[in-house]
Amino acid sequence: MPATVATAQLPLVVLLLALGSAAKVATIRADAEPGGLTRLGPAVLVPERWRAPALAICAAGELTLAAGMTFTTHPLFRWAAVGFFAMSTYALVDLRRRRPDVGCGCFGEVSSRPIGVRSIGRTVLLTAMSAGTLAYPGIGWAAMSGITWTMAGCTAVGLALLAALSPELEEAVARLRHRAPCEQRPLAPGTALARLRASTAWDDHRMLLTGGEPVDTWRELCWRFFAFAGRTPDGAPVDVVFAVYLSGRRPPVRAAVVSADGAPVEPLRESIAVSA
Amino acid sequence: MTDPTTVHRRRALAAAVLGRPPERPESSDGGQEPLRAVTGRILDASPHMIVVEAGNGAEERLVVAPWAVAWRGGDVAVADLPAGTNVIMRTVHQGKVVDRIWADTTRITGTIVSIRTDGKDQLVELDAGPHRGRHTIVIPYRASGRLRVRHPKFEPGYLFDAIGVREGEGEGEGDVLSALLPATSQPPYRARAVPVPPPAYGGAQSRVAGTVTWSDAIPESGHRARDGHRTENTRLPDDRQGTTDQHISGDGHGAAYPMLERSDSGCDDAGTSCAGLPYLALGSLLNVQNTCTGRAMSIPIVACGCLAGRFCDRCVECDTSPRGRIAEVSPVSFVELGGDLIKGCFNARIGLG
Repeated sequence: MPATVATAQLPLVVLLLALGSAAKVATIRADAEPGGLTRLGPAVLVPERWRAPALAICAAGELTLAAGMTFTTHPLFRWAAVGFFAMSTYALVDLRRRRPDVGCGCFGEVSSRPIGVRSIGRTVLLTAMSAGTLAYPGIGWAAMSGITWTMAGCTAVGLALLAALSPELEEAVARLRHRAPCEQRPLAPGTALARLRASTAWDDHRMLLTGGEPVDTWRELCWRFFAFAGRTPDGAPVDVVFAVYLSGRRPPVRAAVVSADGAPVEPLRESIAVSA
Repeated sequence: MTDPTTVHRRRALAAAVLGRPPERPESSDGGQEPLRAVTGRILDASPHMIVVEAGNGAEERLVVAPWAVAWRGGDVAVADLPAGTNVIMRTVHQGKVVDRIWADTTRITGTIVSIRTDGKDQLVELDAGPHRGRHTIVIPYRASGRLRVRHPKFEPGYLFDAIGVREGEGEGEGDVLSALLPATSQPPYRARAVPVPPPAYGGAQSRVAGTVTWSDAIPESGHRARDGHRTENTRLPDDRQGTTDQHISGDGHGAAYPMLERSDSGCDDAGTSCAGLPYLALGSLLNVQNTCTGRAMSIPIVACGCLAGRFCDRCVECDTSPRGRIAEVSPVSFVELGGDLIKGCFNARIGLG
């Protein structure tokens, strides 16, 4: 049974690799606006002129893996897929920490929503799925052509899991519903403020604020910013700035404490763990 | 209304919270020689040398290239420019050699409010938007033919856009604005009936392209690069000083962008465009790329481009651009991006800088 489950995931891994590759190529060919690629995936970590080539290399790698897993039995491609998804997981975790505004870019421009737990969970799942395919000795094409009902069920479960972990589907529905992406829709600041006040980032930083109303608010693309006057525990005046993503019911909310000279401040924690 | 003291911090705050690089991105000259724009008032002009006084009182002496010509209602020799003329100059060779001069050049953009005649000339009252107010311009008889042919709906309620010269002693109310060259093929709809953008299922990552124009009504200040330093010129046109969005840039660069949230910009006319633009804010950096020359630059948004958003026209500077004015930039930015003030526009693409 474990072998059947593992085998059933092979078509999904191949499908996602092929889709990811095609979407990345489409994004590059769309010739996005200047700076458009700055919000897409780990490519933001390389200089501007290398972003399109980096995306192209990633797409070529994915296509190679998909083809290798489909048409050969060589374990190199299976191990490479495991390594690719494991590395992707690390890259997304790191990217989420360093650039919270960028999307994962996994499926090109469709994946512009900021990286969340779901995107990371999806790469973890794909790592596990591709590790499972190592157990299957046959070639990929045979797995896809000689599929049984049990395998089809396992594939469907895997597909449902992947769909549940894909924020791109929600984004696609929202675009069809509103006929425009989030960046082009007028959205009231009041709604974003209400979502901010319901967030954990607000709870974490509320004690630093000296006023209940923002001193400034503005919008850039799909982010609404709120700046509040605040004070650190040692009395230094600071700005506490929140960024609320404007799409989705439970949007990502980021916060930062900025000193008067514009440098980020790491606020002191209320309690510091002391080892005995 | 937005507090101007907080607008200039927006980029730093957004960079801190979203982990963006805080510094302004480098300009790209597309592999060509960098252009620098110098503004000032002429103290002395000869065929080989021009002396100007920048806004901060500093005197600048620049070599005039043999091929350089000036425009002041028409092409004139550089030596014929009188002292006291306000100029913007395109310079090459590290800002030392003047390549092109535009003298007393102004852009006249607005909605026609009324038209009356004054002898053979026509006096047109224009509504230049909530931030720029109303003013009356002169269409000299000699220019009326070429302006009318590009403005077939020459009647109140329709848009007007022309390039001309500013004549007068000062820089304020007493100046006479003469329209001489059409700067657009007039949109056929009324100014209040802007076409809606097409549905955008594809998302904001798709190409945002259109036409970029210039306006001297954007808060501007002159600069020139010299030994790594920039001199500032705080010359601002007439009574527009002191409004919300002034002095963000401080180096002569600035852009007016149509797609601002009305509640943020304090402008009830904001958020109108037929180009399907993404929302940005005062203080955001706009990456503008001149697709005709390949030059690109990040320019801070300093004003609401509520009037530019009403123009659903095209630019045919190097190809036919998609419809819609996606930004209006200061003359300094326009020139440094390789634009010609007389042509009035260039095909461009924009993104978040």
